[in-house]
Amino acid sequence: MPDVATLPADQERDKEHEVRKVLGEDPKAAANRIAVFRYICVAVFLYLLAGFWALQIRDPDYYAELAEKNYIRSQPLPAPRGRILDRHGRIIVDNHSSFSLYLSRDNLKEDHLDAMCSALDLDCADLQERLRRYDRTRAKYEAINIKSDLTSAELSFIEAHGGQDNFPEMEVIQTFRRIYPRGGALAHVIGYTGEISEGELDSADFVRYKRGDIIGKTGIERQYNDVLMGVDGQRRVLVNNRNKILKVIDHKGAAAGRDVRLTLDLDLQAVAELAMTDRKGAVVALDPRTGEILAMVSRPTYDPNRFVGRIRAKDWSEIRDNLDYPMMNRAIQAQFAPGSTFKPIIAMAALEEGIIDDRTTATCTGGAMFYDRFFKCNLRSGHGYVGLNRALVHSCNIFFHNIGMKISIDKVAEYAELAGLGKRTGIDLPAESEGTVPSRRWKMRTQRQRWFSGETVSVVIGQGALTVTPLQLAHSIGGLIRAGEWHKPHLMLDPPPSLDPPRKANWSPENTSKVVNGMFGVVNQGGTARGAAIAGIEFCGKTGTAQLASNDLIRSRKLGLQLSDNAWFVGFAPRVNPEIVVVALYEHGEHGDRAAPIVRDVVKAYFDSKHRRPQTLIAAAGAAR
Amino acid sequence: MEFTLSRYRNVTVLVLVLAAQLFLLAYQIKSRQDVRSIRVWAVTGVMPLTRLLDFLHDNTVGLIKGYSGLMEVKDKNKDLQAEVAKLKMENNFLRTELATADRAKVLALFPSRLPSKSIAAHVTGRGSDSSKVVFVDRGSNDGVSKNLPVVTPDGVVGRITGVYPDYSQVVLITDINFAAGVISQKHRVHGTLKGQGNSVCTVDYIRNEEKVEVGEWLFTSGDDRIFPKGLPLGQVKLARAGKMFFQEVQLVPSGLQLGLEEVLILLEGVHQPIPDHAPPSASAKLLPPPPAEGSDGPDSARVIRGGVATTDADQVLDRYRRIGAAQGHAYGSGGGTPNFAIDPPPPRPPAAPPAPETPPQ
Repeated sequence: MPDVATLPADQERDKEHEVRKVLGEDPKAAANRIAVFRYICVAVFLYLLAGFWALQIRDPDYYAELAEKNYIRSQPLPAPRGRILDRHGRIIVDNHSSFSLYLSRDNLKEDHLDAMCSALDLDCADLQERLRRYDRTRAKYEAINIKSDLTSAELSFIEAHGGQDNFPEMEVIQTFRRIYPRGGALAHVIGYTGEISEGELDSADFVRYKRGDIIGKTGIERQYNDVLMGVDGQRRVLVNNRNKILKVIDHKGAAAGRDVRLTLDLDLQAVAELAMTDRKGAVVALDPRTGEILAMVSRPTYDPNRFVGRIRAKDWSEIRDNLDYPMMNRAIQAQFAPGSTFKPIIAMAALEEGIIDDRTTATCTGGAMFYDRFFKCNLRSGHGYVGLNRALVHSCNIFFHNIGMKISIDKVAEYAELAGLGKRTGIDLPAESEGTVPSRRWKMRTQRQRWFSGETVSVVIGQGALTVTPLQLAHSIGGLIRAGEWHKPHLMLDPPPSLDPPRKANWSPENTSKVVNGMFGVVNQGGTARGAAIAGIEFCGKTGTAQLASNDLIRSRKLGLQLSDNAWFVGFAPRVNPEIVVVALYEHGEHGDRAAPIVRDVVKAYFDSKHRRPQTLIAAAGAAR
Repeated sequence: MEFTLSRYRNVTVLVLVLAAQLFLLAYQIKSRQDVRSIRVWAVTGVMPLTRLLDFLHDNTVGLIKGYSGLMEVKDKNKDLQAEVAKLKMENNFLRTELATADRAKVLALFPSRLPSKSIAAHVTGRGSDSSKVVFVDRGSNDGVSKNLPVVTPDGVVGRITGVYPDYSQVVLITDINFAAGVISQKHRVHGTLKGQGNSVCTVDYIRNEEKVEVGEWLFTSGDDRIFPKGLPLGQVKLARAGKMFFQEVQLVPSGLQLGLEEVLILLEGVHQPIPDHAPPSASAKLLPPPPAEGSDGPDSARVIRGGVATTDADQVLDRYRRIGAAQGHAYGSGGGTPNFAIDPPPPRPPAAPPAPETPPQ
């Protein structure tokens, strides 16, 4: 039962409470609000404290690094590649101070790309693709090279628009650009450099290299990339808020690549280059005593300077779609029938095998039937009564067809392979071709057919399935004239390469002299290259005219020049203890005597240069005194 | 309502401040301005005051200088009377000079000679000495935008780096953040001018092999896509071979030589040919050329011919070409055997460019 006496007081209190509630002065509600506010304050402070904890205690290094990156920049210092010199130390490939544009991905704003690409003539789609690729594989702070060899105008644009106001992502780095000889001279031997490709990165040969590295792509640049390539350095710089360098913090210098000295002689090379102007083919000159390559030319050519940095798509398609294959080093990759330049090897084989001797003769009436097929000689009226010397001097096919009747194809293959044909010479250049030396086994393996003796008759005059490269021919003749001693062809002089001892066949010096005398007569005794004689020099050689198709086919199809004969000439000097062998392949030159002047000029340059050099040195010493 | 606001005054103020911040933030984002709105308002608010202070300063200084000058004239009156004939002649000459040096007059005439569309502006405020930044009284309301060139008849002054409704910020040619493409008057050598934070600028990326002469005028090349080609920049004060393939070239900017009061902002730049003679008001004092230093380094074997880098291989090829030409020998063809031991005739020197006329200075 309720206490009646307290009832009015309670009612009074309740009433007052109601009034305060209406007025919003409910102490209970106010206390609740204050409590909620306190909780919110505590939560906010806890949140701030957690952030403070994360910043100052949990990840201070991470945030310090992030903050530092705003001010400290890491800049690559590209190392210059080693220079490429000729045997006398003259510069073939040099470096040129240049500037490259790097893109700092830390500061990159996507909407700047279009303007940058437009101003700097960059392929925007290609750049975006590269950026995506780099984002996947490289740390964000690593800048990427987006344009090399900046022009003065581009440098002005970048400097004027760099900094925080415009394009803060652009950074100019001083670097080195390759300078190759102009006009494509030496292009095939030297090669060119470029940024390592995705395919190369996946290859075991390039396991040491990383994305963005500039490596040799072809030629000497590729073959000796490890020697030529230096080690890049790096420097850290303090920059202001406008990316201007205030201070260099540390500097790890780049180590330059090592210079390489080649066996090439620029005097001979220059003459060979000029002799092949407007011609298609190749020239190889080597020293048969050492295997040193003195000159190597391939035409048509390309300008490796166009590959420096990144070749434009238009330039690349122009080279790639050229049906004359200007990128092909014909000196080591063109495989053609050698024509009559193969006859000295057949002569040597026949002499060594006792198939012919000094008394062996043949009667040439301009053509003859062999295995029910008529073979024409190069002189329609015929050479008459010919022995080995006369057969070589006048390049009589009938004499050699007769040898072909007596020698087996496997014996021909044995001597050809001994002379270095049908396999790579092992020259220190990438992508050398093997050529073909036919044999019974070769035909069965490649065509599933047996060999017909009639085919040997063609092979002995350097036709049929036999193919050689100009280098192989120079190498084989170089060994032959040294009575069967072949030194491996090579281009590196310094650092000295490790070379195998020469291969030896121990052919008879008498037989060698017979072949050499025949080749002397070709030039000096009214032979097929009588116009190439050099006064005062015992210049020897052999012409070769190699058919690409039968005359009937050329006439019937009206193919004209496209299938006209290749002209070959292999020459050496002097007759005793030869110092230089030169091979010229003049594609579609029609007759071997048209290739002879090319070789003559190179041989003349060799001896003139040899005699001039000591005089030059004496004159220089006199001037110095 | 009034009761509620007064009762929750603190909360109301807080909410209003937050709301204002949110509103301003939204405005800032919506307006897509490069410059923060607070800075725009600060510049707009402070600039009239700065202008007033500048005006008062200039007038006060002018008054004091005028008074002291008058006193000096009075003191020297007797001497001047003795030399009156001579002074009359000199006075006439000085009047002519003053007339041509009258900046306002020249500036009024200059736009008619300038093919670029321009707008005149008055320098109203200066930044600190190190920043080399000034403000001009033309802004976005006058069609001014970022990166526009700022010039005087004497040469380039700088470029616009910040734009406000009625004012613009100009970074001067001497500021360390300034860069522009240049071309030399005599040899048409290209390079990039950079401010150094002092009274001279450097010109970078000019190779040691290229020819730049002390006293030669440099003009804008247009390569930077900011300055139209053909605006005078200044005269070369120093040019010598550097050690890292590139020359050390210093330039005295001509645009700042005679003070900075009135300038022109080029709204639409038009490229002009490089004049063959120096700009008429050139008056830079030049030091004698320093002793030349030889270049060294791996680049020394390289030769630049016609702007193309070559190596020994090119020179050997050239030698044999000349031998062939001298002996009438067609390489690889029949005919006589050449003699490569005979030195060929020296190459013909390249034709010199026509020398520019030197006008009376």
